[in-house]
Amino acid sequence: MKNLVLNSEPDTPYYPEVVFNAETGICEISGESYMEEAYKFYAPLIDWLKEFVANSSHELTINFKLIYFNTSSSRLLVDFLETLRKIKEDGRNVTVNWYYDPEDPDVKDEVEDFEIESGMEINLKEK
Amino acid sequence: MFEYNDNLKKNIVAYNGPLTINLISLMANHLKEIIPFEQGLRKKVFRVFIELTQNVSYYSALVSESPKAEQPKRGIGWYTLDDYDEYLLFKTGNLIFKEHGPILIKNTDEINKLSDEDLRMLKRKTRSQAAVRDIGAHIGLIQTGIISGNPIEVNISEVDDKHSFFEIAVKINKTNSTI
Repeated sequence: MKNLVLNSEPDTPYYPEVVFNAETGICEISGESYMEEAYKFYAPLIDWLKEFVANSSHELTINFKLIYFNTSSSRLLVDFLETLRKIKEDGRNVTVNWYYDPEDPDVKDEVEDFEIESGMEINLKEK
Repeated sequence: MFEYNDNLKKNIVAYNGPLTINLISLMANHLKEIIPFEQGLRKKVFRVFIELTQNVSYYSALVSESPKAEQPKRGIGWYTLDDYDEYLLFKTGNLIFKEHGPILIKNTDEINKLSDEDLRMLKRKTRSQAAVRDIGAHIGLIQTGIISGNPIEVNISEVDDKHSFFEIAVKINKTNSTI
């Protein structure tokens, strides 16, 4: 199984950077997310998680370092987190960390809402 | 809109035309650089700017055909950002289909009555009902209310038997924007 790496490009800063490591199970999403048709971006990420679970017994650690996401992206982030919750319910060890600026209460509130909506526990960590 | 008067002195930026994602991103990041206020206020402006300009791009009834067939049509509309003593005022305007006017008024009235906690609850409920493949999550106005912390003002005027013109104005206070 291959790593999933999507680099952030200066001319399209509305796509976040993605580094999903198939060997370690450590995955990171960082930057900003406000692209059009967010599902086209996030669907392959969710598919990668499912493929990882089918092909590896390793635990999963997801590190979010998103500093901004629009409401369209937030809809897909809830889906992504629900997928993680189901993977965890099936017995896999899954840890979700969300790194945030402590002076940015908007992001902290958003993450707390994600936790309520998805049912996936999220560790809020100050950057 | 662009004639010289006292309002023009307050204007930080104004635009009228098709709103593509690249233009929205360029302008939003430009605003982060040029707004002469602290970081928290700049972030709030950036976030409100993205939500409301993308609403125009997605939902305007007046659209620009893309020269490339594979690219979607782009909504046409305008936005302005003005600098007042106590707040920044961000406004957008775009054509809508007449039947959408009462829905937008009703939704905005509901948003303006709710506390911050109730707005978050409404956002979660509305987001959970949005289909994954929807262009937006239908929570842009709610999110704008949460970020700005102020009532959203809307104005709808009749254009013809099928269309109305929709304007939205949001104040972002210069104080209490700690982020």
